[in-house]
Amino acid sequence: MSSSLILRSTVPRSFRAVSGRSALLKAVQARHASTSTTYVPGGPVYKGTVNDPTDFPPPSKSHGSYHWAFERLLSAGLVPLTAAAFVTSGSQYPVLDGLLGISLVMHSHIGFDSMLVDYLHKRKFPILGPIVTWTLRTATVGVLVGVYQFNTNDIGLTELITKVWHA
Amino acid sequence: MLATRAVLGPALRKVALSPRLASAATGILNEQRLNRPSSPHFTIYQPQLTWLGSIANRATGGGLSVLLYGFSLAYLVAPGTFDSAHVVEFVSGLPDAAKYAGKVILAAPFAFHSLNGLRHLSWDMGKFLTVKGAYGTGYAVLGATALSTVALVMM
Repeated sequence: MSSSLILRSTVPRSFRAVSGRSALLKAVQARHASTSTTYVPGGPVYKGTVNDPTDFPPPSKSHGSYHWAFERLLSAGLVPLTAAAFVTSGSQYPVLDGLLGISLVMHSHIGFDSMLVDYLHKRKFPILGPIVTWTLRTATVGVLVGVYQFNTNDIGLTELITKVWHA
Repeated sequence: MLATRAVLGPALRKVALSPRLASAATGILNEQRLNRPSSPHFTIYQPQLTWLGSIANRATGGGLSVLLYGFSLAYLVAPGTFDSAHVVEFVSGLPDAAKYAGKVILAAPFAFHSLNGLRHLSWDMGKFLTVKGAYGTGYAVLGATALSTVALVMM
């Protein structure tokens, strides 16, 4: 994935890259031993001696390049789906409406998950991070059920937006 | 120099050989770290199209998703209150100014997030990965967002 290499090396991904890299630098600098992982400004104090490197997540394609590719393909797929939803009516093409609903919810979930990874990583927030992550997952399941119910028992998302827009 | 070494000799030996003193030092160090302030970083970074556009992309996406999640969960919990008939009825009862404002509030983030998303996807394909490219596409997205918002509100 040369494009991802280009992306990671040259584009200043502003918010996300700056916070991720500076946190890593501070983690390497804060090398002294500690009995707890108290959060201190700049990052948690790691376990181990001055000679132990900081721990990194284990390399995993499903959390790495496959996740990245899936996220981009999903975002790209939303473009024709939204355009199609604009020109058709939701009740005529319920399958399209269902696909749009699922894709939107998945896209939103990945977006929320990225925000949690950036701002509430479990390395820095060992209790709050996992709690909010699992809350998000539960909420996404609930939203999927809600979207299904709405598309089945009611008029569907595209139709609702059309009606509200022209109300 | 030698005199200092001779005087401090026993203390030096203790520091070198006693692990308890080492952990006490790190304990004090960690406690001091809890009291240290951190230098301003986020509050002093010069506003630029690059990071303002990036955080706006995240904020608009987050806002629209909160709306989607909120409505879907509300419909799941109380389908009688939040079904389409009630929602349409509520919206049509609002004054015209509120309807226009609502349309702008919904259309502008949607347009910006979609167009900026296309900008992100073009970066992922390796295009516009220069400062000029980023700024050029950034201004193009802002202009297109303004036009699209007007078009969507007029619909």
